[in-house]
Amino acid sequence: MSYFFQIVVSGIVVGSIYALAALGLVLVYKSSRVANFAHGQIIAAGAFITFFLTVRLGVPIFFSFLASMLITFFLAMSVERIFLRRLIGEPIISVIMVTIGLASIFDGLIYLTPFGSENFSFPDFLPTESIVVGGVSISWTQLVGVIITFVLIGAFSWFFKKSTVGISMRAVSDDQFGAMSVGISVPRVFALAWATAGLSAAAAGCIIGNVTGLNFETLHAFGIVVFPVVILGGLDSILGAVVAGIIMGLIQQFASGYLDGNFGLNGTGDVMPYIILLIILLFKPHGLFGVHEIERV
Amino acid sequence: MKSKTTLIFNVFLVIVFVFAFTLPASAGKTYKLGMSLAITGPTSDAGNPYAKGAEDWFKFVNETDYLGDGDKIDCPIRDDQYKNDVTKRFFEEFLDDGILIFLSYATGGNLALKRDFEEVQIPVIPASYHEGLIVDANYTFMPVATYSENAVGLAEYVMENHKGGDTPQVAFFIHPSAFGRGPLEDTQKAIAEGLNIEIVEVVEHGTDLDNTAMLQRLVSKDVQYVICHTVQTPVATMLTDAQRLGVTAGSFGEKGKLTFLGAHYTGGSDLIALAGTATEGYLWADSYNLTSENNEGAKKQLELAARYGRDDKAANSHNYGAGILAAQIATEAIKMAKETGLKVTRENLYIMLQKMNFNSFVAAGPVTYSDTERIGVDVQNIYVAQDGVFKKIQSFESKYIQKVRAGR
Repeated sequence: MSYFFQIVVSGIVVGSIYALAALGLVLVYKSSRVANFAHGQIIAAGAFITFFLTVRLGVPIFFSFLASMLITFFLAMSVERIFLRRLIGEPIISVIMVTIGLASIFDGLIYLTPFGSENFSFPDFLPTESIVVGGVSISWTQLVGVIITFVLIGAFSWFFKKSTVGISMRAVSDDQFGAMSVGISVPRVFALAWATAGLSAAAAGCIIGNVTGLNFETLHAFGIVVFPVVILGGLDSILGAVVAGIIMGLIQQFASGYLDGNFGLNGTGDVMPYIILLIILLFKPHGLFGVHEIERV
Repeated sequence: MKSKTTLIFNVFLVIVFVFAFTLPASAGKTYKLGMSLAITGPTSDAGNPYAKGAEDWFKFVNETDYLGDGDKIDCPIRDDQYKNDVTKRFFEEFLDDGILIFLSYATGGNLALKRDFEEVQIPVIPASYHEGLIVDANYTFMPVATYSENAVGLAEYVMENHKGGDTPQVAFFIHPSAFGRGPLEDTQKAIAEGLNIEIVEVVEHGTDLDNTAMLQRLVSKDVQYVICHTVQTPVATMLTDAQRLGVTAGSFGEKGKLTFLGAHYTGGSDLIALAGTATEGYLWADSYNLTSENNEGAKKQLELAARYGRDDKAANSHNYGAGILAAQIATEAIKMAKETGLKVTRENLYIMLQKMNFNSFVAAGPVTYSDTERIGVDVQNIYVAQDGVFKKIQSFESKYIQKVRAGR
């Protein structure tokens, strides 16, 4: 039985990290309807900034973590201000192409540093032994990762539901012209959406980096790996990202634990989430929590 | 009249200057080589120090007049970012420049260009040790033992050191590509030839954040040994998870636990950097001499790195050593041709490579080729991770690989 519960715990851990990594994509899409293909590069940048501050400058890791979130907050805001502000009102596909270009530029910039081609790891700052309850183990790294994920997701949910700025962002997402007509600054909202996405990406980068080690290729791949999570969740739903992330994590672990190596199957842990995604989308084309928009002609 | 004298004097001066500056340059010849590899992009954690090793060796050769007569090697190093189409473009540009030897990189790029190498008849020294590169190919000179030799050799090590009368239960953890699958296929052939292990499961990994389910499954199937053939990052994640779950064997082949072993690109100082203490006990097959061995070869590698201002990370990387060896093989071929009195051409370098036999300070054994032999260093060392470094346990040559090697 502990085998089953161990898989459940691992699925939730993996799913939570997916959810946090997906959050930045949701935030940008929620306000601007743009899929940000440079998200993985911001995830990697956040992880490397934390590493640099901690290891090279000797800043305690907790403060490095906060500082990296702050730096990526302003970095993403600057990206929006410099490259994307002038594309407001232009076709969405143009903006998406710009994000693909940005990904390429970020790649090039990171390749200029040692972080582009070397492996690193964070110094141990948590106990290395695992917490074992009833035969089910979880490492401190995973536990702290899950806690941070849920704290951040809770904070963002509150922000969008209760704060004036959050409500403005939702208004812009619903109807840009309508929002402008009631005095909401659309450019400001876009900048904030990118900035908060940058902040969450840094948090995700640090957690993923702590689990897998710091390798640029591995880190920025997560910008793409979490796309199914975002689509399953419904693109613009934070709750959707959380639920979809955990569903994906659980499917992956259960498939790996019960199907792989049996019945002549292998690699189902990687494939099964996509099969389930396709089946769910057949019945709910807008994802689990996506908005079904009706266009009147 | 005066102006005519001045003109003649000026022309004389120009001629003197031209000769003064061109004579020393023409005193030695320059031999052109070309190298294409991933300095950035996927696998650049290996490609970057590899490029540094090759660059440093060629600098050393040129600065110390290693070839004699003031001869130099000019080897531009291009970053193909692990893209086969870019590798092909660079290769064609190098051919236009008249290179004598091509120093290549990845399995995919080499497989894609394999026919071209044979058609053009250019000697190639790859950084990939995929067995398929030397099957039905004459011009590819593998610097060291192949990945298949690593995997089959590790399987032999398991067979010979496994305690108890039962057949060792083994799982393979591999990269989902030709690079990952090749050594598995050769191990399966070796089993058919009598290698006494059972492959219980093959895991082709993805971008995994957690390997709990997979590791528990392996333990539940009584797997005792996991042979890895991939790159370091997925191995590091797996080792960390195994440590957390308490399934890492405390001693070789411990019952109910997993003993991890891996081929060339799975190990090294980078694995320790990524997985820390979870690496302890990891067994690694490799044909390079490591700086942690602290022997004469290690000292020479560190001296070369220090001479060109490389940091500790690059200096201690086995991939830095691998880059040095590839450059050394090309250099030795040129030197041999010169000493034999042959003109340094592609054809003659091909002949020289087949007669090559020299000792490199970065390799675990001598580099030898012949008319039929295309693997330079056959010796492999088995290292074990202990106290944060890899330490040599023994040297060996795989016996079963000779039985299963295709087309040879």
